Amino acid sequence: MRFLQSSRLLTVLLAAAGAWSLTAIDWNGPWLHTGGAASFLRFLLALFPPDLSADFLLIALTASGQTLAYAVAGMTVAILIGVPLGIIASGVAFTPGSRLRRPSVAATRFLLGGMRAVHELVWAVLFVAAIGLSPLAAIFALGLPYAGILGRIYADLLQDVPPEPIAALRTTGASPLRLFSYGYWPMALPDLIGYTFYRLECAIRAAAIMSFVGIPGLGYQIQLSLHDLLFDQVWTLLLFLVAIIVAVDLWSSRIRRSLLS
Amino acid sequence: MINPASALRSYRAQRRPLTFAKASLYGFVLLAALSWGFILLDGDSGFVDLFAVKTWRSAGRFLAELFGVGAPGTPAFLQPARWLETGQLAYRTLAMSVLAIGFAGAGALLTMLPAARNVSSGELGGAPSRLGRPLYFAVRILFTLTRAIPELVWAMIIVFFLSPGVLLGAIALGIHNYGIVGRLTAEVVENLDPAPARALRAAGASNTQMFLYGILPRALPQFTTYLLYRWEVVIRTTVVVGFVSAGGLGREFRQRLSWFHYDEVFLLIMWYLLLVIAVDLISALIRRRLRYA
Repeated sequence: MRFLQSSRLLTVLLAAAGAWSLTAIDWNGPWLHTGGAASFLRFLLALFPPDLSADFLLIALTASGQTLAYAVAGMTVAILIGVPLGIIASGVAFTPGSRLRRPSVAATRFLLGGMRAVHELVWAVLFVAAIGLSPLAAIFALGLPYAGILGRIYADLLQDVPPEPIAALRTTGASPLRLFSYGYWPMALPDLIGYTFYRLECAIRAAAIMSFVGIPGLGYQIQLSLHDLLFDQVWTLLLFLVAIIVAVDLWSSRIRRSLLS
Repeated sequence: MINPASALRSYRAQRRPLTFAKASLYGFVLLAALSWGFILLDGDSGFVDLFAVKTWRSAGRFLAELFGVGAPGTPAFLQPARWLETGQLAYRTLAMSVLAIGFAGAGALLTMLPAARNVSSGELGGAPSRLGRPLYFAVRILFTLTRAIPELVWAMIIVFFLSPGVLLGAIALGIHNYGIVGRLTAEVVENLDPAPARALRAAGASNTQMFLYGILPRALPQFTTYLLYRWEVVIRTTVVVGFVSAGGLGREFRQRLSWFHYDEVFLLIMWYLLLVIAVDLISALIRRRLRYA
């Protein structure tokens, strides 16, 4: 009976939240622009065919390369920050009973949470306001929230390492450092790699929208083509983005599968 | 006495070889080297500026202004009236995030059946329809297309057709998250134990009955959990979608930033963080309840 009650309560709560959110819509206003329906149709029809001229394919290819480069660079920053913070946040590398352990774990978890709380584009806008627009500002803006995500997951994965091999190592009198470098780290590594590659896909989308602060790449080209109302070019660029995402998705799921078997 | 190094060696020996993952790792390192090379060599990367006093002085000034130094009059974040005014924007932003998740969830529920391989092939006991396979591929392509394109790009496109406002932002967020939630939901259905559905079918249940009693109740808890996880991401992204005149905190944030009203920016960031924390807490609370349910 308790199951019924609580699930019914949840259903009511979620339905109420959905209904409440509908009240925020401006129900009076015209939803479509004048001619909005026509331009929507024009946008859809522009897919048949997208702009496949050699000149534009070259532009799209270059933009894809730029987006990929920014994504990978951002991920390297995220990994370089995320690994040390994740190790501290997991608390596994401390001497048992160390008085430093609890405060440092809490502090790094809080720091990671703060980095994660702010969207990469918000970081980017703030960085641009602080030090001006540069590729490095965008890369750090991308790397910061991703380091927050990676560090937190790294910490959780390190804590989830099976305890038996660790206990066996400990009976040999291994130091915390050895325990970590011969126990926790190699055992968690496959999962760490798998998760990092999974995040690479999201990083590519994030790099694409860095165009909003003026970073070159697919998002930037999409913005340009949209401004000129060249919807067939927009579709070409969208399809390039989809192709990269699918390719990275296949790559990372293949990696995760090979790590499982 | 076990030596740690040899223990590790034997642990590794009895485990799967890391070949493909190892190759990928080297591939990634190569890719990273190429990317950094490209960024540092292609035009001004801003690397030199990192060592200029000017850069850090301007960053310091920005931080000080964020905290209200040099603001005309009382900084915005010390005025209760400004908190209330921007609070209404936060309220609309929150509503936008819930609406977006509602759109994504409704869409995912509508397409969870054709997108699940075990349903479309008739493995769950439903009569395999001739439409099953084409529908399966159509929905899967839709998932990929909507998921691969980020919310902000959807918003930039939709702003050509729809009036700016909460609805625009919610639709842009909803489309992208539909692709993510839809795919995850289809996987939930694919991983269901087929026995109950088959038993219902054997007892003569219709397609609708089988969906309502055999599939939906068992997929719903996991589905809701995914929706809540996505909600946590969506609330962070609402601000970004707001940049494209989708209303709420994001629009105000961008305007204040371009007017150099940094004390107002600080106030908006405070609201943003409050929303993020609140959503994380609510989501965690409901997820815990779901686990007990």
